[in-house]
Amino acid sequence: MIKDITLGQFFPTNSLIHKIDPRVKIILISVYIVFLFIAKNFGSLGFMTCITVILMIITKIPLKLYFKGLRPVLFILLFTSVLNVFYGSGEPIWQWGILKVTWNGIQTAVFVSVRIVVLIMISCILTYTTSPTDLTDALERIMKPLTVFKIQVHEIAMMMTIALRFVPTLLEETDKIMNAQKARGADMESGGIVKKLKAMIPVLIPLFVSSFNRAFDLAVAMECRCYRGGKGRTRMKVLKAGKIDVIAVIFSVIVLAGVIVCNVMFPQLTVK
Amino acid sequence: MKDFIKVNNVSFSYGENKVLDDISFTIKQGEFIALLGHNGCGKSTLAKLFNVLLVPESGEISVDGLVAKNEDDVYKIRSKVGLVLQNPDNQLVATIVEEDVAFGCENLGIPPKEIRRRVDEALKSVDMYEYRTHAPHKLSGGQKQRVAIAGIIAMQPQCIVLDEPTAMLDPQGRKEVMDTIRYLNKEKNITIILITHYMDEAVQTDRIFVMDKGKILTQGTPQEVFSKVELLKEKSLDVPQATELIYRLHQHGISTEKLPLTPEECIALLEELLNKKS
Ligand SMILES: Nc1ncnc2c1ncn2[C@@H]1O[C@H](COP(=O)(O)OP(=O)(O)OP(=O)(O)O)[C@@H](O)[C@H]1O
Ligand SMILES: [Mg+2]
Repeated sequence: MIKDITLGQFFPTNSLIHKIDPRVKIILISVYIVFLFIAKNFGSLGFMTCITVILMIITKIPLKLYFKGLRPVLFILLFTSVLNVFYGSGEPIWQWGILKVTWNGIQTAVFVSVRIVVLIMISCILTYTTSPTDLTDALERIMKPLTVFKIQVHEIAMMMTIALRFVPTLLEETDKIMNAQKARGADMESGGIVKKLKAMIPVLIPLFVSSFNRAFDLAVAMECRCYRGGKGRTRMKVLKAGKIDVIAVIFSVIVLAGVIVCNVMFPQLTVK
Repeated sequence: MKDFIKVNNVSFSYGENKVLDDISFTIKQGEFIALLGHNGCGKSTLAKLFNVLLVPESGEISVDGLVAKNEDDVYKIRSKVGLVLQNPDNQLVATIVEEDVAFGCENLGIPPKEIRRRVDEALKSVDMYEYRTHAPHKLSGGQKQRVAIAGIIAMQPQCIVLDEPTAMLDPQGRKEVMDTIRYLNKEKNITIILITHYMDEAVQTDRIFVMDKGKILTQGTPQEVFSKVELLKEKSLDVPQATELIYRLHQHGISTEKLPLTPEECIALLEELLNKKS
């Protein structure tokens, strides 16, 4: 059951978006997110939403999976919507004690919710279409200039890679330890929250110890293979921007121009 | 052939526990060595000393004329002597098999195109090429071990130390890995030090070192070592089955000129015996 958790969900298909250089993809997606916050009326937000849906379709990944990505934030979404509905300004349409619903509140609630949903969808497009290795690799390269400020970019990227490598291993191990404890008569399913948490202690301690052992072994194995930090290291995969990346950039520029145009053209659609 | 690894009066302890006790020997360039001995007799420890993962308590180890004195020497020695560790589980670093095989080469600063070529070649030589885009944690123990071997092969060291590389493999896999190791030794002239518990693997080598309680008990060609059946038996170490069979015949008064090492030699010897009788 624990194995069902997947991290860095990557769904390989042969879509154009998968083929974009991960560095370009990360930068473009970040710019999209910034523009999502620049969009200030329903016209431009609607435009961004349409573009996002089109991009989702281009990825050839079933839309169902994108909605799954929404599930963890559903609660936050609901919570902010309710707050927004009741905290609007202007004439109340409906009032009960100090609770009042205004037209402005409803508009804000819808606007903010759509913005959050699109934000998540856009981030999903990035993580769903880029393999974790490509992602960390690209991040390392994008952040390279930061080494000037004494930030250990290579070390951070290496840590991310190792974490990604060992998360599945540790999950598997947790499962194994749990089964081992169950085989010795441990009861993990019944009882209240406190009892269940207590039952987790005999799982967590061995897991902790074995993680340290693993870390030690891994360090030895890395040293064994001449690892000595990022200095003088080359990479097998060279990232090279190609035609598809130029197209992606041009497409994005057009979209962003569209957002600004919509912002100016539909002032009447701004949240009042 | 020139001396490649020289071990001079080396001792090593983990705390109070003395694991290696005043060991000396030399290994020549291009030799194929087997290291045998009981569990806990210090084989893995010795392997780690070759690679400067551990430093001798007293005595000196030189690799290709280099004694590890500073960081740079250590790095040079490690690029000359590759070590495949005993447990493959925590040896794989990257999230994709081919990235992992490339890891060592990347550390050595080899140009990308050359890394690509070496990685493909190494993966093919351990028969894992079709798994190159898999995630390491989804491989079986034996497959992980092969990937680990490929990672070292790709670095093209002058010497490879393998710590029980076939312990997790099935007979077919063992044969394949042994074939790969022998190919590397014969065709690429790479010095091989093979730590193993399998006698049929040991007989394929040029020279055998038998360790016991932190000392070298005996050494020599497989023929020489396995003819000392009494000595090995006394320390309850194994000899190849073929040798054992003829040795027992000797005890029953049927003597042959020499002791066989492989089943083939044994059959030939037995045939000869039977022909003589009839
Ligand atoms: N990290 C360590 N700390 C303390 N003692 C250790 C450590 N590693 C090994 N030892 C001890 O050193 C001795 C030799 O261990 P070593 O791993 O070299 O044996 P080995 O010959 O490789 O055995 P095996 O055939 O089981 O692999 C053992 O007695 C072991 O208990
Ligand atoms: Mg060992």
